[in-house]
Amino acid sequence: CLRGAEQARNRFQSELEFIQCLANPNYLNFLAQRGFLRERPFINYLKYLLYWKEPEYAKFLKYPHCLHMLELLQYEHFRKELVNAQCAKFIDEQQLLHWQHYSRKRTRLQQALAEQQQPQQQPPPHGNAATK
Amino acid sequence: DPNMAAVAEKSTKERLLSVLDDLEVLSRELIEMLALSRSQKLPQPGEDTQILELLVQRDREFQELMEVAQQQGKVHQEMQLLEKEVEKRDSDIQQLQKQLKEAEHILATAVYQAKEKLKSIDKARKGSISSEEIIKYAHRISASNAVCAPLNWVPGDPRRPYPTDLEMRSGMLGHMANLPTNGVNGHLPGDALAAGRLPDVLTPNYHWHSSDVPVGMLPPHHGNDFGLEPPGHNKENEDDVEAMSTDSSSSSSDSD
Repeated sequence: CLRGAEQARNRFQSELEFIQCLANPNYLNFLAQRGFLRERPFINYLKYLLYWKEPEYAKFLKYPHCLHMLELLQYEHFRKELVNAQCAKFIDEQQLLHWQHYSRKRTRLQQALAEQQQPQQQPPPHGNAATK
Repeated sequence: DPNMAAVAEKSTKERLLSVLDDLEVLSRELIEMLALSRSQKLPQPGEDTQILELLVQRDREFQELMEVAQQQGKVHQEMQLLEKEVEKRDSDIQQLQKQLKEAEHILATAVYQAKEKLKSIDKARKGSISSEEIIKYAHRISASNAVCAPLNWVPGDPRRPYPTDLEMRSGMLGHMANLPTNGVNGHLPGDALAAGRLPDVLTPNYHWHSSDVPVGMLPPHHGNDFGLEPPGHNKENEDDVEAMSTDSSSSSSDSD
């Protein structure tokens, strides 16, 4: 009985790790180039992993991007495209930009706030006004 | 009752007209006879009496028929009044019908909307998660920079929104594969980790391969063996991770 529980825990942990690896587009490219994404059992496994979308499982995911990748992986077209390194690179770039989106937005907001509070004491640096 | 017979009987109008005709004929005959009797003797002795009698008879018929006609007129008027009543009732009924239809429509809409509301209440209830858990989770994924880049991130920073090479190899799966932790497999261009630099120590202690998994937490039972050797985390090594290819029947069936 204990053995069964331990096995189940191991399975849980390994699936938790594996699914989050799917958030890494380079890993996906790796899998695609080795033909895993063409194998029917693997495709079935990817479908099985969709259970991680349920809240009671999703709460364990540290890298939630993996869920989006998992959804995309359900489509054959996506799996096929992942063979291209450029495709993986593009995804990686977009993913990083998205990841940076909120920090950039926050930085912009902070800048805007700072500018509002500062009274205009200097002429603008690029001013062409003949002030002095 | 002679008035009830349909086609065989003549209408009152016809009878009246025929009696008037008779009266006209008889009157003419009488007048002709009287005109003639001035100059000649009557051809037949009792003829004038006959005609007079007939006249009187016809007149009596005429009077009777006029009474009948009057009665019929009254009846006809009543009929018209009743018809008007019927028309009014008919339009009342139609009006009621319209209103009932409208009411039905409104009620049906109300019932439908109520049902939709119930459905969405149900849905919301099903999807309800404690706010505490959500906040915990939100903290977990943002504090670890998993979904939002750290504010001081610049290109060259090894941190990523996904498990990096090193992280993958330091996990359970990586250890099962007994992978060497040196070596760059080069599929993370620009990844400082791949170049062998320090691992990411800035991440708070949320392990991505979490050890705070409750004991009773189980993956769902999968009935079919996927029949695969799961891919390793290293290009070279592919015969690893026995746990995944375990026959499922022994795993979750006897959990207590």
